[in-house]
Amino acid sequence: MEQQTHKAHRPAHSGAKADKKSKGKDKEKQHGFNEKAFAPKSGRRADRQGRRKVERDQTRLHVPLVDRTPDDQPPPVIVAIVGPPGVGKTTLLKSLVRRYTKQTLNEAKGPITVVSGKKKRITFIECNNDLNSMIDVGKIADLVLLMIDGSYGFEMETFEFLNILQSHGFPKVIGVLTHLDLIKKAATLRATKKALKKRFWTEIYQGAKLFYLSGVINGRYPDNEILNLSRFISVMKFRPLVFRNSHPYLLADRLEDLTPREQIRTSKGKCDRTVTLYGYLRGTNLRPGTKVHVPGVGDLNMKSVAALGDPCPLPDADSEKRRKLSEKKKLLVHAPMSDVGGVVYDKDAVYINVPGSFTRGATDAPQGEGEQMVMDLQDVKSTLEDAVAKSQIRLFGSSSKPLSVQAGPSRLSDASDESEGDEESDAGEGSDSEVASDFDSDESDGDLDEGDYETDEDGAGPSDRGRPSRRNVSRSMQALPSHDRQRGEVDYADSDSDLGGDDDDGALIGGDAGADLPDLPSSDEDADEDSDEEVPRWKSDLASKAQASFAQDVRRNRRRDWTKLIYMTSLSPSEIIASKNASARGAVNDNGMGDEDFFTVVKKADEQAEEEVDTSKAPLDAQQLKAWEDEELLDSLRHLFITGSSASAAPEGADDEAAGSDAEEAEGTDEGDNGAARAAALAKKKELLKRKFDEQYDDPESSKMDFYEEQKDQMARQLELNRAEFEGIDPEARALVEGYRPGTYVRIELENVPCELIENFDPSYPIIVGGLLPSEERFGYLQVRIKRHRWSTKTLKTNDPLIFSMGWRRFQSIPIYSLDDHSIRMRMLKYTPEHMHCYATFYGPVSLPNTGFCALNSVSGELAGFRISATGVVLDIDRSAKIMKKLKLTGVPYKIFKNTAFIKDMFTSALEVAKFEGANIRTVSGLRGQVKKALAKPDGAFRATFEDKILMSDIVFLRAWYSIQPRKFYNPVTSLLLSHKSEWSGMRLTGQVRREEGLKTPTNVNSTYKPVERAPRRFNTLKVPKKLQAALPYASKPKLVKAQHRQTYMQKRAVVLEPEEKKAIALMQQIRALRKDQVARRKGKQEERRAAHRQKLEKEEAKKGEKDKEKRKEYMRAAGMKAKQESAEESGRARKRRKT
Amino acid sequence: MAQATNALQFSGHLHLRHRLVLSILSGKAVKIDKIRSEDKNPGLRDYEVSLLRLLERITNGTIIEISVTGTAILLKPGVIAGGLVTHDCPLSRSIGYFLEPVIMLAPFSKKPLQLTLRGITSDDRDLSVDLIRTVTLPQLELFGVSDGLELRIKKRGSPPLGGGEVQYLCPAVKQLKTLNFVERGKVKRIRGISHAVRVNPQFSNRMIEVSRSILNRYIPDIYLYSDVYKGEDSGKSPGYGLSLLAETTTGAIHCAEALSQPGVAPEDIAHLASRALLQEIQNGGCIDSHHQLLVLLFMVLGSEDVGRCRMSEPTTRTIQFLRDVKEAFGITFKIVPAEKGDPTSTELLYSCYGIGYVNANRTLS
Repeated sequence: MEQQTHKAHRPAHSGAKADKKSKGKDKEKQHGFNEKAFAPKSGRRADRQGRRKVERDQTRLHVPLVDRTPDDQPPPVIVAIVGPPGVGKTTLLKSLVRRYTKQTLNEAKGPITVVSGKKKRITFIECNNDLNSMIDVGKIADLVLLMIDGSYGFEMETFEFLNILQSHGFPKVIGVLTHLDLIKKAATLRATKKALKKRFWTEIYQGAKLFYLSGVINGRYPDNEILNLSRFISVMKFRPLVFRNSHPYLLADRLEDLTPREQIRTSKGKCDRTVTLYGYLRGTNLRPGTKVHVPGVGDLNMKSVAALGDPCPLPDADSEKRRKLSEKKKLLVHAPMSDVGGVVYDKDAVYINVPGSFTRGATDAPQGEGEQMVMDLQDVKSTLEDAVAKSQIRLFGSSSKPLSVQAGPSRLSDASDESEGDEESDAGEGSDSEVASDFDSDESDGDLDEGDYETDEDGAGPSDRGRPSRRNVSRSMQALPSHDRQRGEVDYADSDSDLGGDDDDGALIGGDAGADLPDLPSSDEDADEDSDEEVPRWKSDLASKAQASFAQDVRRNRRRDWTKLIYMTSLSPSEIIASKNASARGAVNDNGMGDEDFFTVVKKADEQAEEEVDTSKAPLDAQQLKAWEDEELLDSLRHLFITGSSASAAPEGADDEAAGSDAEEAEGTDEGDNGAARAAALAKKKELLKRKFDEQYDDPESSKMDFYEEQKDQMARQLELNRAEFEGIDPEARALVEGYRPGTYVRIELENVPCELIENFDPSYPIIVGGLLPSEERFGYLQVRIKRHRWSTKTLKTNDPLIFSMGWRRFQSIPIYSLDDHSIRMRMLKYTPEHMHCYATFYGPVSLPNTGFCALNSVSGELAGFRISATGVVLDIDRSAKIMKKLKLTGVPYKIFKNTAFIKDMFTSALEVAKFEGANIRTVSGLRGQVKKALAKPDGAFRATFEDKILMSDIVFLRAWYSIQPRKFYNPVTSLLLSHKSEWSGMRLTGQVRREEGLKTPTNVNSTYKPVERAPRRFNTLKVPKKLQAALPYASKPKLVKAQHRQTYMQKRAVVLEPEEKKAIALMQQIRALRKDQVARRKGKQEERRAAHRQKLEKEEAKKGEKDKEKRKEYMRAAGMKAKQESAEESGRARKRRKT
Repeated sequence: MAQATNALQFSGHLHLRHRLVLSILSGKAVKIDKIRSEDKNPGLRDYEVSLLRLLERITNGTIIEISVTGTAILLKPGVIAGGLVTHDCPLSRSIGYFLEPVIMLAPFSKKPLQLTLRGITSDDRDLSVDLIRTVTLPQLELFGVSDGLELRIKKRGSPPLGGGEVQYLCPAVKQLKTLNFVERGKVKRIRGISHAVRVNPQFSNRMIEVSRSILNRYIPDIYLYSDVYKGEDSGKSPGYGLSLLAETTTGAIHCAEALSQPGVAPEDIAHLASRALLQEIQNGGCIDSHHQLLVLLFMVLGSEDVGRCRMSEPTTRTIQFLRDVKEAFGITFKIVPAEKGDPTSTELLYSCYGIGYVNANRTLS
């Protein structure tokens, strides 16, 4: 094609554009921060801005936490999908898996691991509606997709789950609203979204992410919505949670039963099983020998741990130069419990699903993992034995030449006989990695094969595996056999008589002293005799010799691999030290752990043991220390002091302290007295000083870090050190030293697992292996701060069993509630207080103080109410509990003197009284007193004094404190062992048992309620005897006056009226009568009017009522129709709902 | 119910102390059998029984079972309680024997420990209280145990009759700091305490003089204190001794001591002590050979990070200790030569991954 020519661009020379350009050119472009733009307008504003900035900075800060997940191969992030049933969890899971792997799952069970990015993997797990599963998932999930039915609203499970999360460290939560397509009206939809969002935010935090998913297309959510969700998931940052950051744990994605078939058959499947669990390690390093807890099963011992090849590896650097993940890598998915790739791993079998008709020849057709595996098995041409024979076993990882098995079968068998003991101890450590064979790679083919293979291996190459160790060390010892022997020769520790053969010491370093060896004992003898004469010569030579010997000793020791000597041999410590000091006859060469040596030294050790005492100070050996009389030897030490003679070191001494560790490091190197090295060190030091000066000169503030920065920096440095320290070591030794790092895919073999776990295995229930800290294996009394949940309807009662979810564990225990009584005692409470924290003490497995927990009355799904009954935090751990219960002892006086009274019925014996002598007592009316002494006659009666005279009717009581211990009851929730996993019920309450057994509560006759009959109190008249009355003074005499029975003066008189008066009275009477009559008539009339009105009203009312009745009838008919329709719809959807 | 955690199993009377300490710290029961079973006088000695009693007293809920013959013991550890404890040590061992395990345990107690011990303050088998005060306690400070850490020597008591009294105060910590101590530095000062009780006070001055004559060639910064207790505070038997320590620029401390023996002049004692100190300095490392156990234990108990420390070669006790640690905590040390380039150095670099031991006993308020 011809080159097309375009018209060249001509910039404008005039006009607006040109002006703009030229202006822009003239003006210097602003770089960086424009001071003026953000300058405050006033001083006060500046002040406020400054303050705000500081405050905002502070809110950014969090307590620095160490993140122990490795950067290079982090474990997959666990994304849990949680929600009530029917909300669309499985649909979401399938959609997400489809989004990441382009595969459609038929059945999503168990954890599903996918590669989501170049440095990121995700394990999806769906959480079913069982409370046990919710608790377990809440403990391990890094991100929770909390699904809510938008058309219905929040349900009880959602809130229960959020509360579980809160008490176990809150992971990130994204809300997902589904079923929004069921809301037809736009306004209602908007309002619903808003309301739900508001509630969600109050529950989590303001601004928490809530996702909306509309309807389902092709059994999946719309692709673009899922894409958005996956983007949110991928940018999520995770803050390490304290509990998970201090415990190793693993979410098992595969389970296998290794118990021998025969054993299962003979025990009819009831024997304890050996089970392997597979999964990615998370949290901290898992050390072999750690005890683990499998929630729902119990505490178990790990028989072995083995790192396996990553089944879902991250793309490695060379294959992935691109920014994005390649399409090929996207297909990686690891879900052994689901049906991915046509392979389903059952508990003890692997099923391979071959679609369509299967022919051997069609190799070009795409093959699944399983198919490939079967075909590989078919392809095997040689027997296992041949394969073993052909396999190349390398003694050490870096050995260049492999051992050949065929070379000497007879020799090997001998060796195996001899070193059986060693083998046994080391078999666990050295099983997998040393053999590079084809068989190791597919760990999925039956474990039986693997087992066979391993035993074969043991038979074939025992000598290779007898002593797994690092290569460089043993070889170097092999190379220098002579040094061992020479060492003894010049050992000044032996005696001061080594001079005989020492004249040719110079040759020793050359290493041809082998010839001397046989003479050595004799030369020693000679020396003993000679020593007296030759003292001057000996003395003159001593320092150099001592130094030479020291140097040589050192050289020899450098070849000693202490790690190996200490951990991988059966030599006793004194033998190790002895072998260091041993003379030539010791013959500790490379194969020093050979049998002869072993036996000889043991004998020696036995002799020593007789007088050996456990001392922390080695006895001073005056003879040995005599060596220090020598001036030269003394001088040889000068360089270890700051005033050291070493020319360069001398003047620097004083500076060292100031210069800090780096300077010292620099200084440390110039020990070698090498000119070049010294110059280099000096240059380094200068450089350091210069940098320091520059830093301080340029910006004195920048070099100064605040506390937060300093802490973070320190953590980063420590992490760097952690990484660097064990970098070069081979993986097995590394696992020994630091355990298995998080991110590795491991196989954990568990012993003595209850058979029910296997028999009732259900992949939809997560299996977690949680590592326990050494202190968490113990049991004790835990004191916790607890608060009843405000939504829980039942108050908690002391001594009622409660299920705790604490640490990894779920268990039932019996708490005793208490409150701190003025810091004097812990006082028992019968019930938990309302809206207040109290303490609870119970027996159980120890958790570290500050661990959160939640408590439940029952884990069963049938309960309608809110199931979380309480939440709290662990405060203290002890082996005994000090809780006091208030005890009131009551008694009654039976004889009262002035201030003294005899009290009975409080105690039953004089001994009890004696115990309480001097105790404070009180009457109901508040008179205080004291127990004095027991009385002889009625048992348990005593004399007491009060501050005033008490009454016979008073009750006397004594307030005492009785110490109570919580019951030693611990019952792990073994929900995974049940066939119906949600139906676990632990110890029941007495009432529950009675109800279920149909028993009646036994009643005490005295406790029954009877009607209280209170007869009116009658008071007898006070009768004062006549004699006494007579004697009384007038004021005290009862003033009793007889009722007057005679007529009074006025009564006796007749009244005669005057005529005018009569008239007036009559008139008044008449007027009153008239008035009365008038009023009566008026009232009658009013009543008439009223009656008429009432009648009228009644009529109206009746009319109205009829109308109403009709209306209601109409309405009810309509409503009934509606209800009928709705119920028909409901039964169509068939969903169980509980209203929040 | 509570499952029995797998018990640690040991045999022999040696290394009893650190085995008990490991058991109490790890919470695993320990079973030790064949305690001097072949001896003419089989079973536990009085001081070992006394130690068990002391451990029982500073813990809560510890169950100790001693077999009838005394050749086997079973210890089921409780929690370390701390608090105010007084203990009379038998005269067969010095206070150092009892204090050493207590120092290892005390930082992990529920309450700060205030322990009063009575007995012999210094003998030639165990560290004297002077060295514990001046050397052992600074080692604890490397791990962040410092506030309120103190050893008060109330009275001195020499063997055989003792009569000394010390008070040990230790705070309770939450977690130990990770140690990273690889720079040895150079000796910058030498300090010493020469004590004498119930003998001529000049003895102590004579020791100082001799020691100075040896050490003055290296460094001028030498202070040797003469510590003479009189009257009530001087115990029941005569004795004297010299404890020396050398501190380097990085804070590493080397120590040595020698104590009076019948028929040996104070000058010879001073010679012994000074030379032992030189020997110790020559051995090198950042940690004195007497304190290897303590430092290694605290490295194991540190947070879940790599702790490193440069030390001289392990002693017999250290080797056994490392093996026992592996059994109790499953921790293996990496031990490599400290200076790869320098063939003359015997120093080793010990590094390990801490188990993240958190003081579970401490009460949260």
